[in-house]
Amino acid sequence: MKAVGARVPRYDGVAHVTGRTVFVEDVEIPGVAWVKALRSPHHHATITKLDTRPAEQMKGVRAVVTAADVPLNVYGHLSALGIPGDEPLLADAEVRYLGQPIAVVAADDEQTAQAAVDAIEIEFEERPALFDVRKAFDPDAPQIHQWGNWYPHFEAGMDRRQIRKGDIDAAFAQADVIVQGVYRPAAIEQLPLETQVCQVVPEANGRLTIYSCTQALYFSMGVVAAHLQQPLNKFKFVGGTVGGGFGGKVDTATETLCSLLALKSGRPTKWRWTREEEFLCSSTRAPWHMEMADAVTKDGWILGRRMITLHDSGAYARFSPYGVTKHAFHHTGAYTIPNLHFDGWCVFTNRTPTSAMRGFGVTSVSFATETHLSRIAEELGIDPFELRLKNANRIGDTSPNGVVYTDPSTVPTILAIADHLGHELPADYRTMTSEPRSDGLLPEHLVAQVGNPEDH
Amino acid sequence: MNLNVNGRTHEIESPPLTTLLDVLREELGVHSPKVGCEQGGCGACTVLVDGAPRRSCLLPVAALDGAEITTVEGLGAAEHLEPVQAAFVHHYAAQCGFCTSGLLMAATAYIANGGTDDREAIAEALGGHVCRCTGYVKIVDAVAAAARGDEFDLSVTAAGLFTTTMSGGAA
Repeated sequence: MKAVGARVPRYDGVAHVTGRTVFVEDVEIPGVAWVKALRSPHHHATITKLDTRPAEQMKGVRAVVTAADVPLNVYGHLSALGIPGDEPLLADAEVRYLGQPIAVVAADDEQTAQAAVDAIEIEFEERPALFDVRKAFDPDAPQIHQWGNWYPHFEAGMDRRQIRKGDIDAAFAQADVIVQGVYRPAAIEQLPLETQVCQVVPEANGRLTIYSCTQALYFSMGVVAAHLQQPLNKFKFVGGTVGGGFGGKVDTATETLCSLLALKSGRPTKWRWTREEEFLCSSTRAPWHMEMADAVTKDGWILGRRMITLHDSGAYARFSPYGVTKHAFHHTGAYTIPNLHFDGWCVFTNRTPTSAMRGFGVTSVSFATETHLSRIAEELGIDPFELRLKNANRIGDTSPNGVVYTDPSTVPTILAIADHLGHELPADYRTMTSEPRSDGLLPEHLVAQVGNPEDH
Repeated sequence: MNLNVNGRTHEIESPPLTTLLDVLREELGVHSPKVGCEQGGCGACTVLVDGAPRRSCLLPVAALDGAEITTVEGLGAAEHLEPVQAAFVHHYAAQCGFCTSGLLMAATAYIANGGTDDREAIAEALGGHVCRCTGYVKIVDAVAAAARGDEFDLSVTAAGLFTTTMSGGAA
């Protein structure tokens, strides 16, 4: 604990201010070939013709790779956990989102690589696209995914992440007020200043050296090895310097395709996405559709919550099912609600696939919960601080998925905020702690329901 | 044509419409200016052209014959940091480091032109730079401290486990 409260040097601080930090693209590799991708111009379409020969015949083009060149084209980000893969590295028969990669080219310079991409002959037959998660369940909705329009591989083969806790009907029967809300935070691009980038060097000993901006080096190595069907000892990953990630560099965006092109051409390869590609084609934080109804007493106790969530996964699963799981487990925010009925679906649309970003799954429902609690306080005419303190997590309370809180921080956090703002609180709230509820704040008729951790 | 980069004159071989950013990075091996957006929007490629902060991604090199270019490599080395560099270390103003080079050059020009520690003036001077890590407060703190002439004892904050983080590339 020597570091707490101390001024600790950044190990890379001086390197940053002297220009000596070597980011992926700062590694000079003689003869490196530039990579560019042919991407889908449509949200949803069948590929009816793909002819890469005009590109292959161009002067300065070193290799062109399509789905036919990938040893294992379909592999999922959750495959290592036993979840089947759903996303092709390169689109084969169809495209499901604007910007989906179909072919990649390595050429002597950036302009030649782009010219070669433009020379590839491709034709599509457009199909209806689905953009609104709320329409995914309609009988006449476009069918966009081989698993159906929502993810079917949660635990026990369920098609949703489900939480059932306590007696939701009794909670709503006891309620004085039912407060409802719908919350729809939009997609967010992580926007690291360094776009997706990697460089791959085919070494004389048959191994590949991969300079990667990944946030998850061993995960990325596993993904590349799986697609290439090669053992891990064929790869040397060099990472550790990330020009911003925020979750956007957890997915393996560039390394596999650069490796395939390096192997096919025998040349080192470099792929640096443009800012436009970063915005249009990289994973984003998901948009969410959340509907909640809380059963509340007139003095501000939240007895129960019914909630449905539609998580927009975009065209493929990536890490979204994991985001839905975190969302479900945190769907009461920093508060304990004894009776819960939650269903969360991971819905496929023709939007850019969504994936990791800073607490993904949790931030969306924290926003919804905090907004909802303020609305409850307003509706009841109760101080929003008091409402939050009343329902705050206490030692011995349990999370929606049954984890017992041993050191919850809700009460001290809210009290600190009130202090900071100079917000006055009655004495029984001001002296509140995280100890189990025994301070008489709990109304008698709720003790059995809320007061005893065994019951949650 | 010639460019003077950090005190050394180079004869440039790249085609005339090549951007200054590409000339610095690809031809001369000067890597501190970063490729962030290639459309003048993020500030990561900012260098000084005859003392003025400019977006090197927007400048065709043909327009710069004989110009004096300064990049972070032309500021102080690790043992002889300029005050603004020391301030960035002391105030933890660099996090991932990718925007840092551009910000340092803009801050250098701001202070050289008599900029003070007025936070609004600093925000105006750095307004064209995007940083996704810090939230800007520490950056403004650092520039204000350097503008005031604060002195820093970096014997604690400067001593790291490593002075560089990856092998390879130009020093």
